[in-house]
Amino acid sequence: MPWPAFPSIALQPDEVGRLFSALASGRLMFGPRPGSDGSCRLQPLPEIPAHPGAAQPFLSLKKFLVPDGDPLWAWTSERYAGPPPPPRLTVVDLPLCDLQALAWLDLVFAEDPPYRARREALLVVGAPCQPAADCFCDPAGLLPGGDLFRAGTRWWALSPVGEALLVRAAGPGNLAGEPLPGPEPGGAVPTVDPARFAGSAGDPLWDEAAARCLACGACSAVCPTCMCYEVVDDPRLDGTVTRRRVWDNCFFPEHARVAGGHDFRPGRGRRLRFRFEHKYLGFGPWRGLSSCVGCGRCRRACPVGISLEEVAGRLARGAGP
Amino acid sequence: MNAGFLPMPARIVAIEPLDRDHRLFSLRPAQPFDLRPGQFVEITIPGVGAFPVSACAPVAAGLLTSCIRRAGRVTEALFQLESGALLGVRGPFGNGFPVETFYGSDPLLIAGGLGIAPLRALLHALLAIPERVGRITLLYGTREPGALLFREELAGLAATGRIDLRLSVDFAEELSLEEWGVACEVGLVNDLLRAVTFDPARTVAALCGPPGLYRCLIEELARAGIPPQRIFATLERRMRCGIGECCHCVTGGVFLCREGPVFSLDRLRSMEGAI
Repeated sequence: MPWPAFPSIALQPDEVGRLFSALASGRLMFGPRPGSDGSCRLQPLPEIPAHPGAAQPFLSLKKFLVPDGDPLWAWTSERYAGPPPPPRLTVVDLPLCDLQALAWLDLVFAEDPPYRARREALLVVGAPCQPAADCFCDPAGLLPGGDLFRAGTRWWALSPVGEALLVRAAGPGNLAGEPLPGPEPGGAVPTVDPARFAGSAGDPLWDEAAARCLACGACSAVCPTCMCYEVVDDPRLDGTVTRRRVWDNCFFPEHARVAGGHDFRPGRGRRLRFRFEHKYLGFGPWRGLSSCVGCGRCRRACPVGISLEEVAGRLARGAGP
Repeated sequence: MNAGFLPMPARIVAIEPLDRDHRLFSLRPAQPFDLRPGQFVEITIPGVGAFPVSACAPVAAGLLTSCIRRAGRVTEALFQLESGALLGVRGPFGNGFPVETFYGSDPLLIAGGLGIAPLRALLHALLAIPERVGRITLLYGTREPGALLFREELAGLAATGRIDLRLSVDFAEELSLEEWGVACEVGLVNDLLRAVTFDPARTVAALCGPPGLYRCLIEELARAGIPPQRIFATLERRMRCGIGECCHCVTGGVFLCREGPVFSLDRLRSMEGAI
């Protein structure tokens, strides 16, 4: 299955120059770059690299769009005030899995004012990457989000903002639909049968899969679409208070605990099943929409080698290992 | 009331102690707002945190009245505050009880413990429309006699025949409840249910209480003949956003804060882990 098509155009060098100026003007630039420790991270770039080369950063765009500790408001002199305007950023050379994850965040935070402000101040440019052995791309998954995509001299508009940038650089009327040059599909996001999932509450597979889980939460922390949060107040000696949202984790024992101590999701097996449900079946208005993008981060981060895909396989096969 | 995460300033205008761990807080938010019975707000103490709570009375004269139990870090801090303190309120969130479903019915309200708080808001909403509803029955159980909240008010409503009130306590050292003019059984709320007579075809039921109350009672109401779409329960869960994002309250794939917290039994049956 091919990657979806978007309006596309091959740009001349002078047009690329104009586009780069527009992408860089008044903005901080970031891209995935290997650090001295060998980990690839989203790092500041002095300029947009002339040649596209996507790589998967350790943390996805959620690091910028739902940053850990993001201020929701500040309380000063008996007044609540919203957060300061977010920085204007351009992030280039993101792989398709992270663009699919961005589409998911855009969906679930569509009505979230701090997210909207950060998203509107962000331009995202994707590029084809070399898939690793432990990840896969699924073109049938979420429609990639972001604004632009580039490969060689060809550019794609992924959003109206991206299209306006291309038209400004190259003039109107020359864009034509063209599939994204993504990698060959390396696999497919597991399809989970809702009825089989619903009937699996008493299946030992959850406790067995969770038996070696350390509840460290690394899988959710690195997942580009895990987005649950806690809110904490950050009071200062001068009397100001900042309420922040911090990353939470459904493997943590307080996640479903209420005042008085009752825990509505006791045990690691149930918590693993909850994460599985969120990832493959979706919650609320997004029921039926999987938010796994095949990036492989969770499996890579898990210190004990738990793979939700293997769990999905076991569920599909029925009881037993 | 407001959008996003910014709370509306709200001042405490009255605090009425009910017992050692329960107080009635009346807040006056800076702008007018409305809150249906069963809906909830998030109350913020700047520098401490926030918690979700429903109102225990319909909003009147711009006042939000909640019965709050000292149960955790933030409510403990609230109990240290006095009238005049400035807090924050976000909301309203959730669906609330479908008051119109009670039109033409005999409402049967069943409360366990602090579950009386949102049901009292519903009760007052129903008492305000006597021409639209029939006989109101309230079954209310707590752990011990001292924990019965709003007892003078409820006893007064029972004495004037406006509600049929049945009380129960799990334990009682002293049985001095007759002084309120209301009989109180020692036992579980289930026993009260077996003792009252109601016409299932005319009944709409609303429950609020700890998880055990739902497990014991809600299907018993259905077995007694009340259609499951006319039995409502409001669910408590950890909540941090109220807008279907933070994921703590999700039960059976449903954001309780958005689609609930009030659900009919026929819906609850399809939500794994709800009751």
